[in-house]
Amino acid sequence: MSRIQKIDIMRYDPEKDAEPYMQHFEIPVNETTSLLDALVYIKDEQDKSLTFRWSCRMAICGSCGMMVNNVPKLACQTFLRDYPDGITVEPLANFDVEKDLIVDMTPFIERLEAIKPYIINDDLNPDDGPTIQTPAQMEKYQQYSACINCGLCYAACPQFGLNKNFIGPAVIALARRYNLDTRDKGFQERMGILNSEDGVWGCTFVGYCSEVCPKGVDPAAGVNQTKVDSAQDYVISMMKCQ
Amino acid sequence: MSHLFIYWRVTVQTITTDVAIIGAGGAGLRSAIAAAEANPDLEIALISKVYPMRSHTVAAEGGSAAVTQEHDTLENHFNDTVGGGDWLCEQDVVEYFVEHAYREMTQLEQWGCPWSRKANGEINVRRFGGMKVARTWFAADKSGFHILHTLFQTSIKYKQIKRFDEFYVVDLLTSEDGKQIQGLVALNMMEGEYIAIKAKSVVLATGGAARVFSFNTNGGIVTGDGMAMAYRHGVPLRDMEFLQYHPTGLPGTGILITEGCRGEGGVITNKNGYRYLQDYGLGPETPLGQPKNKYMELGPRDKLSQAFWYEQQKGNTVKHPLGDVVYLDLRHLGADYLNERLPFISELAKAYVDVDPVKEPIPIRPTAHYTMGGIETDRYNETCINGLFAVGECSSVGLHGANRLGSNSLAELLVFGKQTGDGAAKRAAEFKEWDEKSITKQVKTIEDRLSALMNQEGDEDWSTIRHEMTDAMDKGCGIFRTEELMVEAADKLAELKERFKHINIKDKGDVFNTDFLYALEVGCSLDVAESMVHSALNRKESRGAHQRLDEGCTERDDVNYLKHSLAFYNEDKKPTIDYSEVTITKSQPKQRLYGAAAEEAAAKEKAEGKE
Amino acid sequence: MTTKRKPYTHEMTRTWWMKKPFYRFYMVREMTVLPLILFTIFLTFGLGALVKGPASWQNWLDFMSNPIVILINIIALLGSLFHAYTFFDMMTSVMPLKIKGKKLDNRLYTGAMWIAVIVITVICLAIAC
Repeated sequence: MSRIQKIDIMRYDPEKDAEPYMQHFEIPVNETTSLLDALVYIKDEQDKSLTFRWSCRMAICGSCGMMVNNVPKLACQTFLRDYPDGITVEPLANFDVEKDLIVDMTPFIERLEAIKPYIINDDLNPDDGPTIQTPAQMEKYQQYSACINCGLCYAACPQFGLNKNFIGPAVIALARRYNLDTRDKGFQERMGILNSEDGVWGCTFVGYCSEVCPKGVDPAAGVNQTKVDSAQDYVISMMKCQ
Repeated sequence: MSHLFIYWRVTVQTITTDVAIIGAGGAGLRSAIAAAEANPDLEIALISKVYPMRSHTVAAEGGSAAVTQEHDTLENHFNDTVGGGDWLCEQDVVEYFVEHAYREMTQLEQWGCPWSRKANGEINVRRFGGMKVARTWFAADKSGFHILHTLFQTSIKYKQIKRFDEFYVVDLLTSEDGKQIQGLVALNMMEGEYIAIKAKSVVLATGGAARVFSFNTNGGIVTGDGMAMAYRHGVPLRDMEFLQYHPTGLPGTGILITEGCRGEGGVITNKNGYRYLQDYGLGPETPLGQPKNKYMELGPRDKLSQAFWYEQQKGNTVKHPLGDVVYLDLRHLGADYLNERLPFISELAKAYVDVDPVKEPIPIRPTAHYTMGGIETDRYNETCINGLFAVGECSSVGLHGANRLGSNSLAELLVFGKQTGDGAAKRAAEFKEWDEKSITKQVKTIEDRLSALMNQEGDEDWSTIRHEMTDAMDKGCGIFRTEELMVEAADKLAELKERFKHINIKDKGDVFNTDFLYALEVGCSLDVAESMVHSALNRKESRGAHQRLDEGCTERDDVNYLKHSLAFYNEDKKPTIDYSEVTITKSQPKQRLYGAAAEEAAAKEKAEGKE
Repeated sequence: MTTKRKPYTHEMTRTWWMKKPFYRFYMVREMTVLPLILFTIFLTFGLGALVKGPASWQNWLDFMSNPIVILINIIALLGSLFHAYTFFDMMTSVMPLKIKGKKLDNRLYTGAMWIAVIVITVICLAIAC
């Protein structure tokens, strides 16, 4: 059953426009059409200059994050059947807009690289066979390992919007993922960044990040639990000084 | 005015590096880490058209295979793989693979990969299609996601790996005689500028090409770019006719529903609720909830996809709004088990076909999934161009033959990624010097060619051409092929290549120009598609994933076709198809059997051996 | 060569929190601190008055009987109840509890905390009256 869908997309061509502007489109859709399908259709059939990131179509690669009626969502997981009266599409909030729906993800990548998101442990050797890690031990960090790096939580976080130095939800959750992994010994190496004002203490538990996360990572819980670690770490180091 | 334009364009930034790796998926990342570890003084450029965590490795679900259990043997894994490949595998390569898989996956575990565990904390394994003994390591049903993220995050440890994210490699640079690699030219997507990277060795890890079909499990980026690049430089594409149709993709989107579902005991039924696979040499029917390796739903992928086609001919498939389907029933596994082992699948089924697997069976159909063939390499992943390596799905190192077993390809990325990184590091150390004059000339030629494309006049459109290409490939290179349909597809592709010369790029901007990018990708896809069709046309037999209905071509013909197809590029003409020998070490070709038939034959062989 | 890029930054306005129900709720939660601060100041004065002697204490009691002050205190009480509600909810995220390996259900967790509040309130009122 086909019908016509109204879509308003924020456009921006840095080589031509002084600032972004809204453009109206109308396309045929059916019960299964996703926003991503719609964008691909528009680029194929109506406007070759429409620019957006995408790949897997199944909410696992994290490419297609954007604002849908001012809510951060993945385009491939947004279904037009839920927006019969129209839909407004804008680039992911709190990132600089380069062109149309393409934002500059560099700040995200820089933070990701800064918290040492890898197992820090010099005692491991593959010739010794796999380490032992029980399901209970894995459960401690498992939800934090589900992050697809889509950036929706950064678009949701007003603290990241106000303070561009804030490390942010996904990256702190990823740091926690490694801190809680029994194979890792790098806790201290990550605490420097996490303990700072732009680390966990930049968070005021607005909680919108967890609300928009498409993978149930619950970064708000991750960040705020890490505050407990951070406080304990501070107290311990103070006692050590005496 | 045009003077200024030419001046601007001539000053392409040139940098040097030691090892350049094109593609930052599982294979590319593993190669980069291996090269960094092999020689910490090397500088490694890791170039990808997308951020590494977007690479299509991320979508793989089921798992990665290695001999793990006490009662399993390397010989079992070897025989499963060679038989699964319908004896078209390079057996020395398979031997190397089965020997090294366990260690590589252990290494990944120590890098943090959250492999699913047994209650005692040991690695758990699950059953997978075509495997005699359960040996597939898995990370819930997001194995590819976890492998990719583990590799990407681990790669951050190595400061010598310099990433070039969102750089699209447009061509390779070789020596004057084309026999030695010298580097590459890439387009910085964000700036719209070209950069020439002189390298001492180059690794292609650019992924497969299943996007040349309409219904596929692949992400939009899997367009065969690296295959086309090597192909155009004279490297043959090997065994391109072998395209794997994954038996369980969602209708409409083609989104992948992992083989792991079947490994956990899921069953496939037709419109009559009948588990039809028993009629196709995979029986007898195994009891519900008691899957048996190599029986029924745990048969190899090509046989399952082919069974669907037969059922469709007989009218036994279900008419779903999104097309003909059969059902994958997981209900008997129960909510708790599904949540633990297959949570992602439940999410996908609910989101894309509005089905809760706890309550209803999932509609599925075969979908184009994986290219067994690819850039020809020797057993060390090196191509016929010295210093140019290919690894992962874009390569044909000889592991998969005519049909790949599920969970062998994630393991391939790790085993051969390691080997390739080591090899590329070695070649970089042996490198003598670049031919500067030749490089400058090639860079200019590349720029002129791309500039011409950008300014091309005409009223053709890359999206129309892509749609027509995928339609033609669906018809001509489907699960079952006929001469007539293949010839039609070949003619169509030739026509599309001609029409491509008249496409017009509407977006003339520099910043992140995806109009231009997608046009380049379609150009690559057309060449790769052509190699597939012509290889298929010339293989007058049925083997593995290449099945023909034409008279005289319906059976496997080991007398004439126990050999690899090689497609050689001819500009503006159809490819030349040649053949090469298959390396056979321990396993002589025999009948490819599954289910009860296989057990009977094995028992008979054993009895005969004793006499 | 100069770049063709011209990244555009959407500035965050002062009224960013008014744009979404989720953000408005957050702001109300944060703003409950204002009436609470006032109440704390009143209490502090009360403590001081108590120390100073019966006359001051009576003054303070009169002050606290003022209808406007009572209104402020009621608002502070409502605010603090609302704050408790959001705080308990956040506790389930910040300090999740496990009983025999399974995560404690959020409703049970917050329910238990509310029961503790009621018990303590009853005890305090009993002592006071």
